[in-house]
Amino acid sequence: MTDYGMVIDLERCIGCNACAVSCSQENNVSLDKQWNRILTEGGDAMDTPEGSYPENGRDGTLSMNHLPLACQHCDNAPCVKVCPVNATYKRDDGIVEIDYDKCMGCRYCMSACPYNARVFNFDEPKTLPTDGTGNVEERKQGVVEKCTFCSHRVEEDLDPACTVACPADARIFGDLDDEESTASRYVEKYETEQLLDELETDPNTYYIRGEMSPGRTRSGNELEGTEKKAVGNPNGVATDGGDGQ
Amino acid sequence: MSAASDAGVVVPRFGTRGKAWLALLGVLIVAGLGAWAYQLRQGLAVTGMDNVFSWGLYIMLFVLFIGLSAGGLIISSAPKFFHSKRYDSLAALGVLLSLGCIVVAGLLILPDLGSPSRVTGFLTSPDPRSPMVWDFGIVLLYGLFNVGYLWLLTRRDFAKMGSWLAFGVEDTPAGRERDRKFAFWAAAIAMPLAVGLHSVTGWIFATQIGRGDWFNPLVAPMFIMKALVSGLALLLVTGILVDRFTRFRFPRELVPELGKLLGIFVAVHVIYLVAAERLPHAWAAHFEFWSITRAFLVGDTIHFWLWTLIGGVLPIALLAVPSLRRRIKAVFVASVAAIVGILFEGVYLIFTGYHDLNIDAAPGVTTGTDYTGLEADIWATTGSYTPTIVELAVAVGLVAVGALIVTLGLRFVPIQPNDRTPVSAERDETTATTADPVATDGGADAEVAGDA
Ligand code: SF4
Ligand code: SF4
Repeated sequence: MTDYGMVIDLERCIGCNACAVSCSQENNVSLDKQWNRILTEGGDAMDTPEGSYPENGRDGTLSMNHLPLACQHCDNAPCVKVCPVNATYKRDDGIVEIDYDKCMGCRYCMSACPYNARVFNFDEPKTLPTDGTGNVEERKQGVVEKCTFCSHRVEEDLDPACTVACPADARIFGDLDDEESTASRYVEKYETEQLLDELETDPNTYYIRGEMSPGRTRSGNELEGTEKKAVGNPNGVATDGGDGQ
Repeated sequence: MSAASDAGVVVPRFGTRGKAWLALLGVLIVAGLGAWAYQLRQGLAVTGMDNVFSWGLYIMLFVLFIGLSAGGLIISSAPKFFHSKRYDSLAALGVLLSLGCIVVAGLLILPDLGSPSRVTGFLTSPDPRSPMVWDFGIVLLYGLFNVGYLWLLTRRDFAKMGSWLAFGVEDTPAGRERDRKFAFWAAAIAMPLAVGLHSVTGWIFATQIGRGDWFNPLVAPMFIMKALVSGLALLLVTGILVDRFTRFRFPRELVPELGKLLGIFVAVHVIYLVAAERLPHAWAAHFEFWSITRAFLVGDTIHFWLWTLIGGVLPIALLAVPSLRRRIKAVFVASVAAIVGILFEGVYLIFTGYHDLNIDAAPGVTTGTDYTGLEADIWATTGSYTPTIVELAVAVGLVAVGALIVTLGLRFVPIQPNDRTPVSAERDETTATTADPVATDGGADAEVAGDA
């Protein structure tokens, strides 16, 4: 079986928002929403540290880190369990997806998701450019949407847009059921954390905290089980930039 | 109109006041429909909800009306279960109220949906794991049961009136006796059904790990208790009003009695259950005796105070004193306050779920509603909510639908037990027919009745 998951190295993440931007472009996300958010662990505002500035030499306590957050594709996903009409479902490959033709917009799943990963189209989505850059399904007013691990890309053997966009190699996507995949090797080797794991949602997203992973170009063969898949079939729909229609 | 044709119907015809009331309800319903049409076109963006605070007034009122629908059914069925006839005079009115409330509750879900036309998914692809599917089922069952139960309670009177609503049933003493047995069994179904309805509605919230205090095993018992409080309070309020404006007679001696019962319900709910819920948290989180006490007693939000003071302290004060609770006005005010309190308990519950985010690092969550251009701030790290005029108009319109159902029920359903002594233990239905329709109203103010 396949069980897609993601490893995010919080020590490598530089908070540049490249993944968030590429996510919004790839998936044509409305301007008033983001599927993928980069949170600042630190001060009260984005990109600000907590602690105090060093006044006398080395007595400063400033600290700041970034936490990229999107749907965690939980194994025990409460959003799937609450959806009254089976619009949200867990695919056999581990991806939690929404059938936009079934979703009736009750937003029970938004209450259920502890990560606030879901957004709702309160009105018609405002996108730029209006037909988007990917070939993702259109979401109309009145349905819920969220990160799909770029299932349209994954189906064409491509990594999700965020993973490809990350300049710091902080994201590794792969099959967690395959022990030889790079993602599995990272989970095996590094100390990882699942967010809010006390809630027992069992996410398929693992965060590395503490020791920094080497980055894919430097990791040598040891951790590279499956390569990064940035370029796919040139005739496939996921790579045509959306202007092929 | 012949005497027999309106026997037991408490509003034989709509007078000026009745017509004005119907017109008002009509205006409210049309305004609500208009507001809903507007909301359908513009999207839920015209409500106060956003991605952080994703359920608002509609769900708060849904919870309230589910609760309100309990009282009538419980008051009309619990005594039957013990073969008591003491509250027979309220039984049909109670079931009528339950029916009106459950219809309002069910309808309140529709405007909350982003794509209401897909609500059929409940039937075509339901997920049996979803508490909302359980609730859908039990609300439907409860609504249908209320219709059947109301008919069972009134069909002999329909027959007496010669109404087609009797569906061929005849008014015979033996038949009435048999119906009384049926009513016992219906009551035996009604009570577990009501308990199920309120628990399942509670579990919609209580199963959610991601929303703070919602994940709490006490939520379902709380829902049952608040159903008892608000349902009984609504029965008292409506009973008193209907007694005032129609031929319906609310036996006076029942008012202090039910008032006392309401006081007990309020005390169990607002004092006992709230204490049971808060004390362990306060104890665990604080060290000094007085800080534990303070954390236990002092709530943190305005909704908490509205709920516990207006919905708790005020009714208990009014209902605890025997001389006060003998006054209809005092019981009336206490009941209204109890309902307002329960409304704010629902508001409080929703706020506790949405105010804080589990992961609230800056910039937070995209609200999905605030995009005004390039400089727009679309982020939020806490939930906040104020209902909009559109939401209020839709909600009031739906409440008016409930009021219309009850009003039409008063006009066409013989809810007044058809004899002159509703409270007596021995009733003989066969002697109840009388030539004078006014006399059947049990002595209520004839002028007012004629006018309504
Ligand atoms: S992160 Fe939220 S939306 Fe994603 S699978 Fe888990 S519960 Fe569902
Ligand atoms: S909003 Fe849509 S996806 Fe979410 S629970 Fe309701 S029907 Fe399912």
